[in-house]
Amino acid sequence: MAIISAEKVKFYYENYENSDNQGNTPQKPVLDSIDLEIKKGEFVAVLGHNGSGKSTLAKHFNAMLLPSGGRVLVGGRNTADENEIYEIRRMVGMVLQNPDNQIVSTIVEEDVAFGPENLGVEPGEIRRRVDEALKTVGMYDYRLHAPHKLSGGQKQRVAIAGILAMRPECIVLDEPTAMLDPKGRKEVLDTISRLNREQGITIVLITHYMDEAAAADRVVVMESGRILLDGTPREVFSHVDKLRQVGLDVPQPTELCYELRKHGIPLPEGVLTAEECVAALSMLLEETYADN
Amino acid sequence: MIDITLGQYFPGNSFLHRMDPRVKMVLIFLYIFSVFIPQNWVGLGLAVAFLVFVIILSRLPVKLIFKSIKPIIPLVLITSALNIFYISDGTTLFKWGFIQITTKGITTASFIAIRIICLIAGSSLLTYTTSPTTLTDALERLLSPLKVVKLNVHELAMMMTIALRFIPTLIEETDKIMSAQKARGADLESGGLMQRIRALIPIIVPLFVSSFRRAFDLATAMECRCYRGGERRTRMKQMKMRVPDYISIVVVLAFAAGLLGLNFIFKSVL
Repeated sequence: MAIISAEKVKFYYENYENSDNQGNTPQKPVLDSIDLEIKKGEFVAVLGHNGSGKSTLAKHFNAMLLPSGGRVLVGGRNTADENEIYEIRRMVGMVLQNPDNQIVSTIVEEDVAFGPENLGVEPGEIRRRVDEALKTVGMYDYRLHAPHKLSGGQKQRVAIAGILAMRPECIVLDEPTAMLDPKGRKEVLDTISRLNREQGITIVLITHYMDEAAAADRVVVMESGRILLDGTPREVFSHVDKLRQVGLDVPQPTELCYELRKHGIPLPEGVLTAEECVAALSMLLEETYADN
Repeated sequence: MIDITLGQYFPGNSFLHRMDPRVKMVLIFLYIFSVFIPQNWVGLGLAVAFLVFVIILSRLPVKLIFKSIKPIIPLVLITSALNIFYISDGTTLFKWGFIQITTKGITTASFIAIRIICLIAGSSLLTYTTSPTTLTDALERLLSPLKVVKLNVHELAMMMTIALRFIPTLIEETDKIMSAQKARGADLESGGLMQRIRALIPIIVPLFVSSFRRAFDLATAMECRCYRGGERRTRMKQMKMRVPDYISIVVVLAFAAGLLGLNFIFKSVL
């Protein structure tokens, strides 16, 4: 079942300077007829370089932006319906790039409580949800700390806990690791893949890191407001040329195998991780020795 | 770097720390007003004794209380001096030209000095035993009846919380910008006043720009978390008045009434 479905979604930023006398906006749309369905429990990575429209698309998933054309349905609810807006935002939580700018309160546990408080949840229930969410992201021991004393990865986990406490069905993360160090990145990625695996929460990860995308079930590549590729990481990253054309890289092991294959070395397509790459190479070497 | 989000807060688990912050706030205000009631030494003595009692209850180091009084010593000295020199009733003790010191002057001066000290020490007890977050929370709840006169108490409290939350972030940011500008050869430490003020511009402008960006981000994040102002909002932490809170209210009211009574029993010295 689809939790989010975008149907022919178009989006323009209103720009009066460029519009003609009839009020039409002739400039290129930021999103151009996007059709996308995200199924319940999926882990989808959305790739694309800056300006490809990936963040704009993400903001359509929780009614932060409304489509200029077409429609977005979240659990069957139309995001354009004002009465559904808070239910949609509860269902689809969003984590932003800068961990500093999304923490509201001066105490970790109060920040996590912010969402459920807004939803009018009863106090005892909020307490339970906050403790549970903090334990899930491994930040329970820090519940009474001041957020500005935490590391970037920890802050981002607190932000995720703040979303979890609203009991969402889907979490959209807009480049959540862009401002983190490698350790923080790992913490955040481990947390979200665990949420996906163990709690069945649908994850939409907007990123420009190829290795993060490789860990997803499905990769959607965007380019100038359109969907360029959509498939499993293996399928998507086998289109090395196509990805390069739009200025995207592929994971390094994939690239290595691709380059070697181009020079006539028989390696399999769709290698994603370093381990797979090593396995493929050692197998090849063994075969070569066996032949000799 | 001092931790502004904690302000003067001195964490602890004393009777005062555990009190309902609303009650604590109201009672400390009541105490501050009552300090102005006594007109005689007995009453003032009682006010001081009560303060000492509360300080002992708070289990704060006495050093802290003195620290809070220190900045107002000049103020105390100036008001005392003014009183000593201006009040000319009572027995004259000393006269030199237009300067005249009378018994009444000295009495009034010391009376007022003690009052000011009680007032400051009393109010600092509130900030020492309550964190700014809790204070904001308590203020929101205390002022909530003002909704009737269309004052949006929730928004005020939210602003205070966000300010407290972002002060350390912005201080950190200022440090970064200063280092960045110094690395590009900005000279912040030398020159006259005007030159130094001018040197601040390349720090303030980026700080403002980034603050606006932060504000936009925060607004987005808050909307994503279903924020819609104070309506239909619940709170995780409930404030409950317990037996000790009721007892404190009775004690402080009795104390204030006692001070009033003492005014009738003893002659005013002012």
